[in-house]
Amino acid sequence: MTLIIPQSVLDRIHAHGEGAYPEEGAGLMLGEIIGQDHQVSEILPLENVREAGARYDRYQLSPQDYLLGEEEADRLGVEMLGVFHSHPDHPNRPSEFDRQWAWPNFSYLITSVVKGKAVESRSWRLTEDRASFSEEILEVGEQVNS
Amino acid sequence: MPQLKIPSPLRAYTDGQAEVAVAGENVGQVLESLIQQHPDLRQHLFNGHGELRPFVNLYINSEDVRHLQKMDTPVKEADRLMIVPSIAGGLEKVDHSAIRTNQALIIGLSILAFILNLPWLVAAVALVMAVGTVTKVPGFGFVYRLFLKPRGLVKPDVLEDNPEPHRFAQGFGAVVLGLAAFALFLGAATFGWILVWLVIFLAGLNLFAGFCAGCAIYYWLGRLSVPGFVKMPPAETFPGMRPKAKA
Repeated sequence: MTLIIPQSVLDRIHAHGEGAYPEEGAGLMLGEIIGQDHQVSEILPLENVREAGARYDRYQLSPQDYLLGEEEADRLGVEMLGVFHSHPDHPNRPSEFDRQWAWPNFSYLITSVVKGKAVESRSWRLTEDRASFSEEILEVGEQVNS
Repeated sequence: MPQLKIPSPLRAYTDGQAEVAVAGENVGQVLESLIQQHPDLRQHLFNGHGELRPFVNLYINSEDVRHLQKMDTPVKEADRLMIVPSIAGGLEKVDHSAIRTNQALIIGLSILAFILNLPWLVAAVALVMAVGTVTKVPGFGFVYRLFLKPRGLVKPDVLEDNPEPHRFAQGFGAVVLGLAAFALFLGAATFGWILVWLVIFLAGLNLFAGFCAGCAIYYWLGRLSVPGFVKMPPAETFPGMRPKAKA
């Protein structure tokens, strides 16, 4: 399982996480599904709709924003691949809460943002039995030609 | 037949279909009809107690069924239904310094109550624990929050952990201590003080050995699918033991 992402798109994800710091930032990833692999071509940085005070360690996207994401995917002729979010001053590993709220078949890209700077991203997918996450290979490359 | 729109992450279980024809007179029946056609969906839509997972939203003609009659919401032939994901995540954090302060005071005050033979002190500690359980905080956590932490006497120890099992453990302790106080007031001194020492022992086990017996019971009740006990132990942690991962 691999998440293939252009450097420029990953840079935008990192910038979104740095902009949201010290709160968690999140958004959706769109692109192609190629067998077991996800190839990201576009992202939708979205608003963390958790109440003020709770956004430091929780993120939530509104159902309306999710539907916008599905519409955008349809419009672009691509698929919804997953979710990116940041962990302020915390490792880029999914938490127990992440697992409980995770959707199957989605790539979950997590960026560790330490003292305002994006440090590293890793990507994960929920196992079929929902018991844990498996890490997938993150392949960062040049802009992919469609 | 009504059409049910399937979100992207679930289409792998519906043979790639983004819309599925479903049958039923209400939302509950419609979902059952969906799962009968595509059984792999069940565990992603429902938890082990048969309840719709909190991150699954069901809309009927753009209205969330949670604002209507939930599973009993009637469904008509021309209705458009949608499963819309709530996308959420984050850290579950518990400051174990607050919990340890709570345990130390429960132990200290209970021992003091025994030495000085003060049933009312036992009742007071039980009351503080009960109030803490209801307000979802360690009962004596205010001592840590208002005095110990600001003065740097006790440093925060924030771990990735679930608060619910600790709340259950405190509630369990409050009930036992409350029973103890009741027994003491009724004159059953031996029984009453044995219960007090049981609470002291269990709080001590938590404080000094890192094992929360009430938390372990919570997780075991969850494993037995008792409704309301929904959290699972943190990864790589024996149910009841203090987690290692810092938050």
